[in-house]
Amino acid sequence: MISKQLALEVLNAALETGGDYAEIYCENNISEAVSLENGKVESSTRNLSYGCGIRILQGTNSVYGYTSDLSKKSLLALASSLAHRFTGNRLFTVKAIENAKFKIINKIKDHLTDVPASEKIEYCKKVSELTQGVDERIVRCIVGFGDNKKDIEIWNAEGETGKHFTNVEERGRLHIMAVAKDGDNLQSAFAGPGMSAGWSYFTDKLDWKNTALHTGKMAIDLLSAVECPQGKYTVVIKNGWGGVIFHEACGHSLEASATAKHMSVFSDSIGKQIANPIVSAFDDGTIPNEWGSNNIDSEGHVTQNNQLIKDGICVNFMIDKLNGRRLGKEANGTSRRQNYKFEPTSRMSNTYIAAGKDKPEDIIKDTKLGIYVTNFGGGSVEPTTGNFNFSASEAYIIRNGEVQEMVKGCTLIGSGKDILMNIDRVGNDLDLGQGNCGAASGMVPVNVGQPTIRVSEITVGGRGGELK
Amino acid sequence: MNPNKFFEAAKKAGISASQLHISGSSSTSISLFHHEIDSYSIENDQTMVASGIYDGKFGSCSTEKFDNSAIDFLVAGIIQSASNSEKSDSEGIFEGSPKYFKKNCFSKELSDTPIEKKISLIKDIEDKLFAYGDPISDVQTVTYAESSSFSEFYNSFGLKLKNKKNHFVLYAGVVATKGEEVKTNFDYDFGTDISKFDADAFSKKLCEGAIAKFGGTQCDAGKYPTLLRKNVFADLLGYFLDANSADEVQRNSSFLIGKEGAKVASSKVNIEEIPLLKGPMFTYFDGEGVAKINRKIVDKGVLTTHFYNRETAKKAGKETTGNARLAGGKMGVGCSTVTVKPSKKSQAELIADVKEGVYITEVAGLGTGMNANSGDFSCQAEGFMIRDGKLAEPLDLITLSGNVLKMLNDVKGFDNEYRMMLGGVGCADALIKGMNIGGK
Repeated sequence: MISKQLALEVLNAALETGGDYAEIYCENNISEAVSLENGKVESSTRNLSYGCGIRILQGTNSVYGYTSDLSKKSLLALASSLAHRFTGNRLFTVKAIENAKFKIINKIKDHLTDVPASEKIEYCKKVSELTQGVDERIVRCIVGFGDNKKDIEIWNAEGETGKHFTNVEERGRLHIMAVAKDGDNLQSAFAGPGMSAGWSYFTDKLDWKNTALHTGKMAIDLLSAVECPQGKYTVVIKNGWGGVIFHEACGHSLEASATAKHMSVFSDSIGKQIANPIVSAFDDGTIPNEWGSNNIDSEGHVTQNNQLIKDGICVNFMIDKLNGRRLGKEANGTSRRQNYKFEPTSRMSNTYIAAGKDKPEDIIKDTKLGIYVTNFGGGSVEPTTGNFNFSASEAYIIRNGEVQEMVKGCTLIGSGKDILMNIDRVGNDLDLGQGNCGAASGMVPVNVGQPTIRVSEITVGGRGGELK
Repeated sequence: MNPNKFFEAAKKAGISASQLHISGSSSTSISLFHHEIDSYSIENDQTMVASGIYDGKFGSCSTEKFDNSAIDFLVAGIIQSASNSEKSDSEGIFEGSPKYFKKNCFSKELSDTPIEKKISLIKDIEDKLFAYGDPISDVQTVTYAESSSFSEFYNSFGLKLKNKKNHFVLYAGVVATKGEEVKTNFDYDFGTDISKFDADAFSKKLCEGAIAKFGGTQCDAGKYPTLLRKNVFADLLGYFLDANSADEVQRNSSFLIGKEGAKVASSKVNIEEIPLLKGPMFTYFDGEGVAKINRKIVDKGVLTTHFYNRETAKKAGKETTGNARLAGGKMGVGCSTVTVKPSKKSQAELIADVKEGVYITEVAGLGTGMNANSGDFSCQAEGFMIRDGKLAEPLDLITLSGNVLKMLNDVKGFDNEYRMMLGGVGCADALIKGMNIGGK
């Protein structure tokens, strides 16, 4: 996107006033999306996002700017304006830039951008037909397929020899939303499986038929669901997307962006017990082709499998370059950003609670009265206090070890510190689920994951009174 | 880019009529952390969204790359988009409204104020926050962000509309600590005139807000008369405004199906859409180039109109309300700034008769805790008990659940502490007859 010579000039302009690190992040992101409404193509679009972000660090201070004008004049002007926020003398001049090499984790042969929109439309039509066919009370069905190919170039320097990284991120995601109506009762269900993979994954490996049918069935089942009770209850959380509990309740509070400034409940927790000893957790950006995986992070560091919690003890944070300086630790491949408009910071990739020993059916069998949450809409957390919330999109009552009636309008709230200690059963059925996580550096694709777990007590909010 | 060159290329390629929306912004954002500029950013955005009619169907495409390849990219994108579309009821490209109500919303004074003065303002705020002392233990951030944006709309019929505006946002967060108990509080202000900003009052309110949360517990679960702070009421009202989209109604996805002209709220509720309000949110044309006007949405509890674009208006046999919004490649519907009429009562007068109730000051997780189709919601909340007509002990980690339409029908009244929120809803605190609170 820019020449090596221009990169050299821009880096040196950025370092003119005593910056000790400069970085140029260029991006050309082509995204395509088709969307069908009740089986008919409603929209088919192609968008190009294009631009460059420049960052300069001086110790633990940073300046960042971006522009979609990648001309020499524009980039030098931006670098110079940013540099003038620092006052100091040049520490070094970048004289050469070397090309960096790294392992390709997300190998893709059949690129999604090479697949004609017509083929994606046919695929979505089959999905839509299955979802709509579940029941005549499905009054609206939106099925879409979105994919993007992001060409990235990073140029950075913190000495006389800089580095140049070229990377490609490719992702695709199927979206299914079903709306069911019975009189005035309107309910909806959503599914959104995604992968950093080629077209054959979506057509051959993904169980799209079952996903389509399940989404329609969920919307229909919600029509007869009763209101969720409110109070403090034992909650069993199904594997896969249920891992959003760890993501919200604990994951964000283990990001160095929160811990380095002492703005997290886990700021000083390394080496301390923060969870029940049966809990171990990882953030692994290296799982081939997974939704949250990357070859390198947004700063050029290779991604890693970082263990965050080992047998209940906090052993590491997710650390980006800037917050690594604050913590006195090395970055560990977790610096991410939505696009060039965002300054990168530590973020999760594929974050999960490791598998335990219990059979999921035993966990339910051993629960006398509680809630069984099988799917979530999502949630949020305030890392400083650790208070989190997440809403269940599919949940049931457990009585005497049996899963019984479905409930709707179920929200779980609590404190991350408490919930990790209150996990009293961990299943052996680890699975991952896909989502988009929003935080300081924008929306990034993440996998959440866990086996089936049980939390001895969580505050449950609903409109259904006391659980009996 | 010269729009006429795009229109010529589009016409040559068989696109019968087209429109081009060019928008962009330049922003500067400065954050302090522990007396140093911790983050400084300069942002320059620009986007072109082109739409057109090809073979009788609507197509759209966008790019941020403003070079020589842009015209070909946009023209090819429109053709591909329209060719794949199976929607045959497009209203085409709008020629233009007879009159537009343009206002100058660009403050030269704000733009000309030196950046050092703005930095010194946030330094002053940070000093005041630290000076508050115990139990304020830390200042998370003090941020100043200023944005100047432009929006230009052109179409192949010769319509040219331009809008330019700027504003600032000041944002700060503090941490209060007492033993093991940690509380945070955030607040913001925005506008076009920083000379009116009262740093003393802002800092004091922010610190007091954090300290007031100490000792927060869960109340007994149950149904309570509930005072919703204006920010909470505004968040919930946002879902009502989304549901009022004629597009959602016509697609069977709204809890306002069949409610146009009917009573949807208590008679205390009066809502007006005010896109022409002078200031940072001003807008005088919609995504189709239709002139916007201020209009009543809810009049004494009665829903006077849905929000329409030209296509949904035609389906309903109505006129467009100037609410077209082009997003995701299709011409959808969206609303602009909205105001809810406050009353003359103070907060104390409004809750004077509440024997035992709850004051909700913050909610979290509404985005996922809301069923936008039915209006049912459940989310995390915090606030205070109301006892014998007065605010009492703090509440923490409780849940608030209810239904948006029921909430509006149960509005007993508003107080007089009106505020326009950054999200584009202006309102005061609202007292609701009864809402479900989850706690102990």
